[in-house]
Amino acid sequence: MPGYEVVEVALRSLYVSGTATLLATAWSIPLAYLMASRPRLRVLASPLEALVGVPTVLVGLLLYMLLSKRGPLGVLGLLYTPYAIIVGEAILITPLVTSVAYRVLREAVEKYGELALSLGASESQAMATALSQGAPGLVAAVIMGFSRAIGELGVALMVGGNIKGYTRTLTTAIALEVAKGEFEEAVAMGLVLVAIVVAVSIAVRAVRGESR
Amino acid sequence: MIQLRGVWFRYPGSHWVLRGVDLELGKPGVTVIVGPNGSGKTTLMKLASLIYRPQRGSVLVDGRDAWALGGGERLKLRRRIVYVHEKPVMLKGSVWDNIAYGLRIRGVDEGELERRVERAASSLGIDGLLGERADKLSAGQAQLVAIARALAVEPEVLMLDEPFAHLDRAKRRILLGLLSDLRAKGARVVIATHDTFLASRIASRTVIIEDGRVVEANSIEEAL
Repeated sequence: MPGYEVVEVALRSLYVSGTATLLATAWSIPLAYLMASRPRLRVLASPLEALVGVPTVLVGLLLYMLLSKRGPLGVLGLLYTPYAIIVGEAILITPLVTSVAYRVLREAVEKYGELALSLGASESQAMATALSQGAPGLVAAVIMGFSRAIGELGVALMVGGNIKGYTRTLTTAIALEVAKGEFEEAVAMGLVLVAIVVAVSIAVRAVRGESR
Repeated sequence: MIQLRGVWFRYPGSHWVLRGVDLELGKPGVTVIVGPNGSGKTTLMKLASLIYRPQRGSVLVDGRDAWALGGGERLKLRRRIVYVHEKPVMLKGSVWDNIAYGLRIRGVDEGELERRVERAASSLGIDGLLGERADKLSAGQAQLVAIARALAVEPEVLMLDEPFAHLDRAKRRILLGLLSDLRAKGARVVIATHDTFLASRIASRTVIIEDGRVVEANSIEEAL
């Protein structure tokens, strides 16, 4: 695979996984806040934690059945598009982002939310204080979600289809090169993926270091 | 000013921490709530500060049932009472940022804010700490910052939960001096403590709490 193609695949991986992470964040953080601030919703914590380890192929299979022509969402025409991968990865990482954010926010709400109320904050000011105090932990939750999304294969392969120049990502490209026996190509792309994941890991450590 | 009427409270999945409490708090002077650890002192203060909502009974401020009011009206009542936690919680940022927090959320203008922060800090002898990072303070310093943060908003009722817990002798003296001044000025202060000796030095009125029930006495001698 030529160098420019590796760059193109890497950029697509960043775009797809980055967008999926933003999408998952948009619903995971509010859900985590609701769970942290309303004790009755805390029953959701255990099922969500259990779903963190759900196999990616299972999510891919379920999404394939939904998006295929005969599936209930087939009319949307999303199958084998980058949007299908984005949606699939967003669903995949939702339990992880929500669970980690919940743990961060539960402590922040109990500690800083209550402090804010004790000093005369309104409910919305207390929420803003809890979110700002928990921000480093929330950023870490989002970065963990991104790491999981960019490294997954099952969803990208099953609903993306590994179409050259359109839905091919680093993980599907690696799988293809291995199937072709092109191990050097696979290793090169693997190194790019590792470099991205390591960069993200360093970012997580930096964020956690900041919060201490 | 604050009346608890038939208040019952329990945490989720727990037993009743308070059982039918009837009590008036916030009279001028220093009211000390005395009781062993786990007797319900902290919960009682958080209910009186309108941080917690009772499962049964009502909390009245100036005769108005706080939890029957809308959020905006209740906020006005809550802003008249400030509760200081036993374990001081510091917000990220400097000591200055922490003391200014309660004023910022009330929209106090910068000039007034600056004056009040400095006045509150100097009343506790912590002016020298204003530029320090709050997370680098000792437990005793953090306790004084938390009290200064409460004083800065000039509440009508100041609630202090075990305020002497993390203080060394020098800082205890500073706080005792401040409480004596507040008492002389007729300020309304409520303190929860398990230390009856300290209570005897500052109390104008004492309330004893045991196993979630309140026994009220008029003086510390009577309580002891």
